Amino acid sequence: MKKIAIGGGQGFWGDSPDAALHMLRHADIQYMSCDYLAELTLSIMARQQVKDPSKGYAPDFVSRILKEAGKEAWQKNIRICTNAGGMNITGCVDAIHEWASSQDMKGYRIGYVTGDNIKDKIPKLLKDGWTFPNLDYEGDFKDIQDKIYNVNAYIGHEGIEGCLSQGADVVITGRAADSALFLAPLKHEFGWAADDWDNLARGIMAGHLLECGGQGAGGNYMYDWRNVPRMDELGFPIAELTEDTMDITKAPDCGGIICEQSCKEQFLYEVLDPANYITPDVNVDVSHATITQIGDNRVRIGGIKGKPKPDTLKLCVGYHKGWKTVSMLSFAWPDAYEKAKYCGEVIMKKMARLGMRADEVHISYIGLNSLHLNVADMSEEALKNLNECVLRIAVFSEDKKECAKIIPEISPLQLNGPPGASFFGGRAHVQEVMALWPTVVPRDAVDIQSHILEVK
Amino acid sequence: MAEIYLNDIAHGRSGDKGDTSNVCVYARKPEYYKIIEREVTPEKLKEHFGDMVQGEIVRYAVPTLGGFNFVMKHALGGGATMSLRLDSLGKSMGSAVMRLKIHVNDGEL
Repeated sequence: MKKIAIGGGQGFWGDSPDAALHMLRHADIQYMSCDYLAELTLSIMARQQVKDPSKGYAPDFVSRILKEAGKEAWQKNIRICTNAGGMNITGCVDAIHEWASSQDMKGYRIGYVTGDNIKDKIPKLLKDGWTFPNLDYEGDFKDIQDKIYNVNAYIGHEGIEGCLSQGADVVITGRAADSALFLAPLKHEFGWAADDWDNLARGIMAGHLLECGGQGAGGNYMYDWRNVPRMDELGFPIAELTEDTMDITKAPDCGGIICEQSCKEQFLYEVLDPANYITPDVNVDVSHATITQIGDNRVRIGGIKGKPKPDTLKLCVGYHKGWKTVSMLSFAWPDAYEKAKYCGEVIMKKMARLGMRADEVHISYIGLNSLHLNVADMSEEALKNLNECVLRIAVFSEDKKECAKIIPEISPLQLNGPPGASFFGGRAHVQEVMALWPTVVPRDAVDIQSHILEVK
Repeated sequence: MAEIYLNDIAHGRSGDKGDTSNVCVYARKPEYYKIIEREVTPEKLKEHFGDMVQGEIVRYAVPTLGGFNFVMKHALGGGATMSLRLDSLGKSMGSAVMRLKIHVNDGEL
């Protein structure tokens, strides 16, 4: 029976390449897919590209993965799909072409998918009456129109599969949905029909379990993190599919764990309604799914159903929202929290006198409540004898100047504030705040094209 | 009857989509599923978080996996991109849910 194995090589832009390289060298896989794009990554890339047109993609894919093991992968016929193209697909393709040419890889086929970037189509869509409704908040799209960095549709598997059908050894996309990078090779291999919803849903969930890399193999693992073997050599997960089965496993001789609980924690990660997990390719129903340990580092996934895909595509719209700055000051025993709190009050009084117009101020205490906020233990017992406490003040303003007012006021508190204040990390900077406008577009507004560039 | 942390009988993970946080909560043993079902209601979580979670909380059951998915809207101070919180992605929302105190009857554990 035909079996296809596909690995997850990257969980985000900036992830470690170690597991991907180990997998390419030692695992029996036919495909590897690498996800580089979180919700805001494209906006960051778009901003980089404005400053330097050669940027705007994830160069690590070329420098840290392909240059290290890309030729070996090609020789072993392991095909790689990735959304590393980000905002600059052709820039990424050119870099790959240059590398492959230098490696004497004649016949290496670089596939790439265009069409997700629809920023230029916005005026026409608005004119045609599409309002880009904000799905989370109220607001009028026209108010942010001139502050937009990027508008990309989350596209499905079609363009990637198109490249694979033309013999691509590597496929580069922009904002392809993470899981589509995995569904495409599986659909291509098994020949699933475009409306074979149950199988498409299986392929999507294989991708879902792999798209966050180490998080699917014992990373960020609440159940039993102390006993994850060799976390320093954490392997990433691999899915093995046949027509009837879907198993999750990992490469030989690496750390990490694949078990019922590790798969469960990833299974509903960033899923909303389990009966309607909406992707560009299929509406997935995992509300009756099963996860069963069937061997050492081997888990079988079953009970996944699919329903027809939606008529609209989710959009990633990133726009300029304002500015923020984060300042910190640390205090030691005795009365560490009391000093930090008092210092925060002193700073805010100064800011009131300086007339800082902040749209939002957020004060928390690192080591105490900056993560759990309202649900942190702030009882007298918890505060007593605290060794140290870091005051953290974050300020947001639409006006950069207002935001910057607090910066020079922090370090003087070492001499002018409660005793023992220690300033660290250097002066704070004003950072741009980008925001997302969650919305959708009609599917037919997006024109997905597959291309091939062969190394001569 | 005893008061324990949800953490004692459950595990899970938090994720983010914009300003929405989801936390999946699984029973550490199959028999704990019913305790979670009874004790961890959206209302209790809403009270647990107070104004830290501004929007509604919805619970989805997945009994075949022995767990639940909690979806909390307007829960991350504006979301990854805009939040002033240290944990703008809500990576620690999972453990914050596990911090909920729940009641178990004698003989249930």
